[in-house]
Amino acid sequence: MSGTAVYLDFAATTPIDPHVAEAMRSCLSPSGAFANPASIHIAGRESAALVEKARQRLADLLGADPRCLIWTSGATESDNLAITGAASFRAHRGKHLITMPTEHKAVTDTFAHLEKSGYDVTWLKPDSDGLVEIDELESQIREDTQLVSIMHVNNETGVIQDIQRIGEICRARDILFHTDAAQSVGKLPLALGELPIDLLSLTAHKFYGPQGIGALYIADRPGCRVLPIMHGGGQERRLRPGSLPVHQIVGAGTAAEIARDEMAKDIAHATALRDRLWQGIKTVPGILRNGNAEYSYAGILNVSAQGVEGESLMLGLEPVCAASGSACNSTSGESSYVLRAVGRDDALAQSAIRFSFGRTTTTADIDVAVERYRWSVDHLRSIAPLNAPGA
Amino acid sequence: MLRVPEMIATASYNELVRRHFADPQHAGDLQENHELTLVADVSESDTGAHIEMSAGICDGTIAAMAYRIWGCPHLIAALEHVCTTLEGQPVAGLENFDSADITQELSVPVAKAGRILLLEDALATLWAHYASADN
Repeated sequence: MSGTAVYLDFAATTPIDPHVAEAMRSCLSPSGAFANPASIHIAGRESAALVEKARQRLADLLGADPRCLIWTSGATESDNLAITGAASFRAHRGKHLITMPTEHKAVTDTFAHLEKSGYDVTWLKPDSDGLVEIDELESQIREDTQLVSIMHVNNETGVIQDIQRIGEICRARDILFHTDAAQSVGKLPLALGELPIDLLSLTAHKFYGPQGIGALYIADRPGCRVLPIMHGGGQERRLRPGSLPVHQIVGAGTAAEIARDEMAKDIAHATALRDRLWQGIKTVPGILRNGNAEYSYAGILNVSAQGVEGESLMLGLEPVCAASGSACNSTSGESSYVLRAVGRDDALAQSAIRFSFGRTTTTADIDVAVERYRWSVDHLRSIAPLNAPGA
Repeated sequence: MLRVPEMIATASYNELVRRHFADPQHAGDLQENHELTLVADVSESDTGAHIEMSAGICDGTIAAMAYRIWGCPHLIAALEHVCTTLEGQPVAGLENFDSADITQELSVPVAKAGRILLLEDALATLWAHYASADN
């Protein structure tokens, strides 16, 4: 990354913690733990021990039993395995599933695929902040409902869903509850041993670990199982075949341990940065904060501005690296489907900027973002027609 | 539905685009009265791009140009570039605009080349107004 860039896109991916990088590096040499952990010789057993140590570290972060964790390539794969695998396992009992249109594409596209395969999917409309309406959820549950999937922290707006309450509703009716927690693991406290969550997806690169490694939590309780979606080996309880990437897993485990140790400090830091940023830009005329100010993860601030075009706003922000809507969505060509789902019009959704920050962000970074955002909005409005979209 | 450019995540802007974007000298309204003032107002529903363009004509020459724009950086730069180029030229320059040259000069990505057509529409509208007003 350019030395002049101000990186405020932590919700897309976080920089790898130096301790994580070092732990990974130690695996990547002829004398390191490069052996296949499925091998039963001494080198393989050394690798396997590191894999299990990392699994324990991740379990400690989650307050979970390590035997409930399956290594995957990331949250997208975990979402696919959880949703498709659980729907398949429960298909003989019913084919009704529930989710929301504001989920990550890894979830919405998987449900859309199941819909085409004969499942009946209810898409819960969020309220204007993006939160699930509990009464609406309860009213949509049917006799044949088998799975509810609602994310913990929204990747675009940062709103936090009440997964405790949603899980209780599902558990009381013996419905599996899956949550995509890619944006919350390592950032918010989670105690899976106490939460009524059956399936949880996560990825390491959102909490200062490497890209390409994630996990799926599968609760150890009757009726909670998934069928594999890939075949070819017996790894990971036969649920996720393929040789395990030891260095990636070691990195994930190290990142999990650091996240657990640093979490309280990280949350306080992110809160201070978010408040500083919002204080700096909230007086921009026509600015709107997307999401819910009370129920939000502090590391994300999403704002729209009336009368400005999104791509030009992004160029005006340089050297700040933020996201136009979801980074995962920014090559699709569409304005944010999440913001449109919560009622923002196309022009406002298109002008949305997601600032996200974390452990290495400084107040100086935030001050640059404030200055560039204010300049960019003023500049674009000064050259816009009076009846420009959203003006 | 408004659409942001397909290339937004990887869009790169050459130096000319950056210069025009940061300092659009012709953005705004015409400052003086002219013998003839032509105005075009064009928009494109898919992206929401919107151009208001005006040209002040004196003695068959484009004496001044100005524009207002809601659009992407390449379109802003294209407008600025055209205004700079056409000022002082015979009014026929409005008719003879060729988007291929400007697309190349600004290194407009292929996926966005269609956007420059909105500029062509604006210039064609100005020319049509001139032709009907003049003559």
